[in-house]
Amino acid sequence: MPSAAWPGPPQVGALREDGTVDPARAEGIPDELAVALYEQMVLSRETDAHLVALQRQGRITHHASAAGEEAAIVGAAAGVRDEDWMFLASREFAAALWRGMPLGALVHHALGTARGPGRGRDTYAPPFWKPARVVSASPLSATQIPHAAGVAWSARARREDVAALVFFGEGATSSADFHAGLNFAGVTRAPLIAVCRNNGWATSLPSDRQTASDGFAVKAVAYGVRAVRVDGGDVIAVLAVVREARARAAAGEGCTLIEAVVPPRPDSGDVSSSPADPIARMRRHLEGRGLWSDDRDARLRDEVHADVRRAIAEADAEPSSPTPDFTDDVYASLPWHLREQRQAMAPRDPAAGG
Amino acid sequence: MVQAINDALAHEMRRDDRVVVLGEDVGRVGGVFRVTQGLWEEFGDERVVDTPLSEGGIVGAAIGMALYGLVPIPEIQFADFIYPAFDQIVSELAKLRWRSGGEYPAKVVIRAPVGGGIRGGLYHSQSPEALFIHVAGLKVVCPSSPYDAKGLLLASIRDPDPVLFFEPKRIYRAAKGEVPDGEYTLPLGVAAVVRPGRHVTVIAWGAMLYEAIAAADQASQSGVECEVIDLRTLWPVDIETIVASVKKTGRVIVVHEAPKTCGFGAELVALVNEKAFFCLEAPPARVCGFDTPFPYALEMEYLPLARRILPAIIETAGI
Repeated sequence: MPSAAWPGPPQVGALREDGTVDPARAEGIPDELAVALYEQMVLSRETDAHLVALQRQGRITHHASAAGEEAAIVGAAAGVRDEDWMFLASREFAAALWRGMPLGALVHHALGTARGPGRGRDTYAPPFWKPARVVSASPLSATQIPHAAGVAWSARARREDVAALVFFGEGATSSADFHAGLNFAGVTRAPLIAVCRNNGWATSLPSDRQTASDGFAVKAVAYGVRAVRVDGGDVIAVLAVVREARARAAAGEGCTLIEAVVPPRPDSGDVSSSPADPIARMRRHLEGRGLWSDDRDARLRDEVHADVRRAIAEADAEPSSPTPDFTDDVYASLPWHLREQRQAMAPRDPAAGG
Repeated sequence: MVQAINDALAHEMRRDDRVVVLGEDVGRVGGVFRVTQGLWEEFGDERVVDTPLSEGGIVGAAIGMALYGLVPIPEIQFADFIYPAFDQIVSELAKLRWRSGGEYPAKVVIRAPVGGGIRGGLYHSQSPEALFIHVAGLKVVCPSSPYDAKGLLLASIRDPDPVLFFEPKRIYRAAKGEVPDGEYTLPLGVAAVVRPGRHVTVIAWGAMLYEAIAAADQASQSGVECEVIDLRTLWPVDIETIVASVKKTGRVIVVHEAPKTCGFGAELVALVNEKAFFCLEAPPARVCGFDTPFPYALEMEYLPLARRILPAIIETAGI
């Protein structure tokens, strides 16, 4: 049982079970935005289904499913501004899509083609997307947190109203980099919005073996930054708390640590079957507002399904690169030793799976 | 050398307002070796940042600053303390350009004092250059004189790749020399033949360069003329200068403070074997630190001083 010595903050919610919104948080979600949030979550879920299938077929190595966590990811991405930086962890491809990364870029990346944003060199996390200041992550769990703090510090030092949003899972809070990054942001009052997705498990480890504290938001207290706990299955609540954090950042009030508590996966493993499914919850809300229907939902899912299949087909058709380019971009220009190694490289043999 | 490095930092900070210095005690105190003295007074909190005590945080934040478009120059107080930042350097800094398909290079120059000879003991004396040379994507520089320190640091700051800039602390104040005011750079990847000779090539860098020169001077009394090469940039190394020299002398000795096994000397000897094997007239030799932790009381026994280099020269020369 978590220690109650330092209770975490109460959990913020907005969407009620019947689909209505807490009037205190109902402002600022116009119809168009409400629909867009829902559509983006559906796109995320469908993309997941296809990429997980490709992974099971052994055609891609890495794909971390965001099923059930769409509200935390899409809500946070929608809560910051276009000029803000976004540092992803392993599952936040929908945040990059929200910022305008084409679906095709994601799929090329997942399949490791040379046309992916990372030129097929590393498919672990969602890719970099420079036009929208989206930075990919390595599998080192928390290393991106000090990077985001450094970006936020820079914006503050340059007196530019730009913030950094960084995602990570609750397991990352055990790392030195979480501590270093949050502490740096706290000391320098850097405009950092740190979103911890708490889905209860870090790979195989339950969260009560990850920390003895009452949740993860409470850790903010030690860094002198704002602590917020939010219902991570509630896209409107996540959007609202991230917007508030962004406004505080703009006002010079520094960093906020947000713990988005993601509903536990149902035993069946099928998130869509659960009444706690963030997509189902948002759909009830849209229906209550008269913005959605079965017909429209079916059309959306057909469209999204077709988009994902088309993107996969296009990436699949990409011929493998005849000249291996992995000696490029190690340095800005090719040093003598890599020039030698490149010359010594045998031509690629597609028949050998090369 | 301290003054020359300070001059380079101040010069570049005046020239380019993206340049930012950060680290433990680099601001008000001016660094434990006073390398950053006066910078905080001139440039203020937003260019010279006293950071919390966390090397990983310093390098991690510097990476973020570089992504944003600044040119951060973090100081690690002693190279011995760089290991908490190792993950950030190896897994992140070195790989960002490559992983991002060339779109997100992170330009960071990490300065750190290295080496022994100041009675610093185990945790203030190490020379970890080989660990970073082994990592693809990093450049490693180690100057031996004030003139070189300024020119190489300015070049390192303007180079597009991340640089580990190791400053040999034994000669921070001992190495003296004229340093021009203002602007000049020395190209990275270019070694200097500091003492021409025809019998034995001696490769060194940093503080041990002076030991190599002293040993070469003594050897010359026995009729052995050593060619001493100061690498200046350790990686990418100036292979042409090394090979040209070894082809002339047929004999090579590498001197470094770091432990012998898998030290940079091992790579240099391997390169010489690959590229000049048929010119060799004697086995290549290494005069290095020992494969032990760095001893406090016996540091002069540990270091590859002239008195250990000279016998290696005589033996390699075969006289």
